[in-house]
Amino acid sequence: MITVDRLVKRRGSKEILAGISFRARPGRVTGFLGPNGAGKSSTLRILLGLDRATSGTALIHSVPFARLRDPLATVGAVLDGSGAHRARTGRAHLRWVARSAGLPRTRVDEVLEIVGLTDAASKRVGGYSLGMGRRLALATALLADPEILILDEPVNGLDPDGIRWIRTFLRERAASGRTVLLSSHLMGELAETVDDVVVVDGGRVVANGTLEEVTGAYRTLEDAFFALTTGGAP
Amino acid sequence: MTAVPAPAARTRGRDAARALAAELSKLVSLPATWLTLGGAAAVNLILTFAFALAGLRGATGTTSAVDIGLASIGYTQAGFVVLGVLAACSEYDGGQIRTTLTAMPRRALQLTAKHLAVVIVVLPAAAITAASGVVFATGVLGDTAAPMTPDRVAGALSGATGCLVLTTSIGTAVGALVRRTLAAVVVLLGYFFVAGPLLRDHTPVARYLPDSAGFALWFPAADEAGAVTPAQGALLLTAWAIVSIVVAVSAYHRRDV
Amino acid sequence: MRALAAEVSKLASLPAAWIAAAAGVLVPGVIAAITASSALGAITRGAGTTAGIDTGYQELAFGVVGAIILGVVAMSSEYFTDSAESGGGRQITTSLTAVPSRLRLLLAKTAAVAIASALLAVAASAVTMSVIRVVLGEHAPALGTGDVPRLAGVVCYWVYTALLAFGVTVLTRHGVVPLAVFVVNTSVVTVTYLLTKITPLANYLPDMAGVRMFIRELDVGTAGIGPLAGCLVMTGWVAALLVIAVVAFTRRDA
Repeated sequence: MITVDRLVKRRGSKEILAGISFRARPGRVTGFLGPNGAGKSSTLRILLGLDRATSGTALIHSVPFARLRDPLATVGAVLDGSGAHRARTGRAHLRWVARSAGLPRTRVDEVLEIVGLTDAASKRVGGYSLGMGRRLALATALLADPEILILDEPVNGLDPDGIRWIRTFLRERAASGRTVLLSSHLMGELAETVDDVVVVDGGRVVANGTLEEVTGAYRTLEDAFFALTTGGAP
Repeated sequence: MTAVPAPAARTRGRDAARALAAELSKLVSLPATWLTLGGAAAVNLILTFAFALAGLRGATGTTSAVDIGLASIGYTQAGFVVLGVLAACSEYDGGQIRTTLTAMPRRALQLTAKHLAVVIVVLPAAAITAASGVVFATGVLGDTAAPMTPDRVAGALSGATGCLVLTTSIGTAVGALVRRTLAAVVVLLGYFFVAGPLLRDHTPVARYLPDSAGFALWFPAADEAGAVTPAQGALLLTAWAIVSIVVAVSAYHRRDV
Repeated sequence: MRALAAEVSKLASLPAAWIAAAAGVLVPGVIAAITASSALGAITRGAGTTAGIDTGYQELAFGVVGAIILGVVAMSSEYFTDSAESGGGRQITTSLTAVPSRLRLLLAKTAAVAIASALLAVAASAVTMSVIRVVLGEHAPALGTGDVPRLAGVVCYWVYTALLAFGVTVLTRHGVVPLAVFVVNTSVVTVTYLLTKITPLANYLPDMAGVRMFIRELDVGTAGIGPLAGCLVMTGWVAALLVIAVVAFTRRDA
């Protein structure tokens, strides 16, 4: 379970997060929705211990990320790009991450199989297409078979085949009792994937509930979204 | 899936071992590591050849194969410094730093493990580089070489190796602090090759600075009073390395990525 | 002409270029202050005589570090890769689509680097010579008409060194190796100087030849290369390297 409570982040005079609170529960896919600059990535980065919050807490199983005993086995994170150095091969990248979690080398081949990168594994990451890089990032997150998956714009760069694959994959993971938190600004795709929705705008949560609750009287999630937010980045 | 809580000490030990394994794997699988080490070794041999030729002509002040063989270490150091910087700054390519910090969120542990991994990889490389220089010089100088005592050879070789290893660690620390490869390389090489030697010529205090301390580890010492002995040089350089690592780790621990 | 304006504007808006400028002015200035005050100490103690003929010029030979950084970052900044979230783009793509003729782009860049390093050399010379005069006061060597060709030599040397660093960076497409090699060779005992001990041919290497444009007391014994000859030799090196760089740049993939 992910618990974010009154998270505030200020950088200089700019207030990036003005008090974000929400929960992501096991067995459900939670969508984190908002325009560019709303604070989605900032929230996820604080959750993963990459940035520090000015105040408030972002906890995983009631502890901050840095204090998790087995971070990779608890949380798998898919952030921007491939998360890999361009000069390494895909396999070499997965190998060092596997070592950091004490995982056997066979696990590397398994996750490559899951995301469909087995053929490209011996090639340099620098030569990967955008979609292949995203799949490598997903493979990295899946190495220790974590119970929580956190994804920042996961469909960014995937082709239609990949988009459908990941939607099914995430739903299956939630169905097996795991937690999935994903952020996106692609409403149509999100509406097909999520159970719960948290809408943020300008560093604040403007709607929080199940997909049905947030869509409410509007026809689609997209209509609800535009009604709830200021309608896009300035 | 909450595991039975293991005693904290055992977990920390396990995490440390895993972090070291991961950092070693990273360093070894980075092509730039081998290119830099190979380049440094090659340049070292070329410069040693040049020095040895000069030695044959009597243009150097000495005919000791050890002194001539190691004379180029001062320049080869540049390659090792670059390696140290790359080991740290390569994290910031492709967003890898985020992968590193989500896999190993204990930042102090991870960065220290990285430094240790650098030392483990560089130690044999530095030893080989230094030794190959001396062997090559011995070959080129042939009969004209002055006789060497095993003590002198062993001392000079271990001093040169130690100097290279510690300087590389300083490179990694500065790289982790500055995060940009070019900036770290300019600052470090500018210090070691321009600012340091000039300070050495003008102030006596400069002999305690890292570049002079490193020099004292293997360069035949002047006989003046107050000169730094190899042992003192080793202590000084180690202290400088530790200080730079501590500064780098503290900054790393606190900041946003 | 528009391409040149664009390249100058690019260079002027690059923070690293200003850092290079600061280094180019501060390094010789600070070194000059240190050497001048120790020379002053020696003179007042009665130990030394007047300051040497190369006072100020020797320091400017070190200050060329700033020109090196300038030459390198002017090209390496084109090849920095954006983070993957921004699409992993590099500035070189924008540059090449804005100015489709690669030759014109490279010539514009070369000119921008030359102009910037010349200006930097002038500023550094002014600062260094002033510092020497301020610290040494009456003991400072007088600045006469004989210094004009020497100062011109300083500017020429800085421009040429910047262009050499630039040319190598065009070939390597990253800045680390050229920066490391050139900075190490700016040290007190340069690699090229050591090579002159082995063969007098090393006097024809670009920096050893070029430095004769303004340094009078070189500890290299025999080779009698005058300032003009030194300038010509260095010109030859720069021209050759730039031709190679142009050919490589216009033929290869971006």
